[in-house]
Amino acid sequence: MVLAAAVGSPEEPRRITVMQGQVHVGGDRPEILTTILGSCIACCLYDPVARVGGMNHFLLAEPAAGSGTVADQNYGVYLMELLINQMMTGGGVKSRMKAHIYGGGNMHAGMTRIGDVNARFARSFLAAEGIPLVREETGGEWARRVEFDPMLGRTRCRIVAPGAVPAERAVARPMPGGGEVELF
Amino acid sequence: MSETIHVLTVDDSASMRALLRAALTSRGYEVSQAVDGVAALEWLDGNGEAVDVIVTDINMPRMDGFRLIEELRGQARFRDCPILVLSTESSDEKKARARSAGATGWIVKPFDADKLDSALRRITH
Repeated sequence: MVLAAAVGSPEEPRRITVMQGQVHVGGDRPEILTTILGSCIACCLYDPVARVGGMNHFLLAEPAAGSGTVADQNYGVYLMELLINQMMTGGGVKSRMKAHIYGGGNMHAGMTRIGDVNARFARSFLAAEGIPLVREETGGEWARRVEFDPMLGRTRCRIVAPGAVPAERAVARPMPGGGEVELF
Repeated sequence: MSETIHVLTVDDSASMRALLRAALTSRGYEVSQAVDGVAALEWLDGNGEAVDVIVTDINMPRMDGFRLIEELRGQARFRDCPILVLSTESSDEKKARARSAGATGWIVKPFDADKLDSALRRITH
């Protein structure tokens, strides 16, 4: 699949790596958003009318053993909302957005299937927000590399060796700066 | 004010509303929710006396949080009602705009339930 700008285009697309905890929405120049996923999820949103797209990359915190609680969804909701808001700032309209989700591999045999938990969260978030999920490649016990063209809404997802995945760390508490209270 | 603090949360994200409801009800708050500024004003029109504090997002369709705060401060009965902004935004420019509109404070998402609880108790007593 050709993801880059059309053949003969004077401008080569800039490659942007979206790391865990990050959000990136394409601008008005050709870009390819790329990431490598183990248990993490990358959600790609695309508005075909505004021709604006973006990607996030997150991992929900695993619940404490025996706690009986579900994974901490606050951070996932935050990164999904950040992606939607940045899409809207770029001209996207929520009711036109379509979603892809990738990742959610269960990389460590015998441990909680945290990849499945993350994929379930992403599906449930999108359903609650009324955003159609048009492509999903999640689960299994392998890692994936995703490339996304935010102007065309095209993705490519390939299986890669587990060793290619950067260390993934669940964010159990809000990231620095999050949750801060300022009274006027 | 009754002992139970009644919070109106305003957020267009169903997932965020669910998180807020769970965090606040488990800490003893009574919670009502609206999906944007227009829905909040409609709800407050009939139920305003019951609300002790409002927590609103900024980026919402139909009517954003800035406009909602301005509308409420224009009504005598909400002139002194505490209004907290809860937003993914954290720029000084946006905070200044909220303060100018009449917001009581600003909390950056992702929210910490204990910090939110502490702020709500502080501004309602």
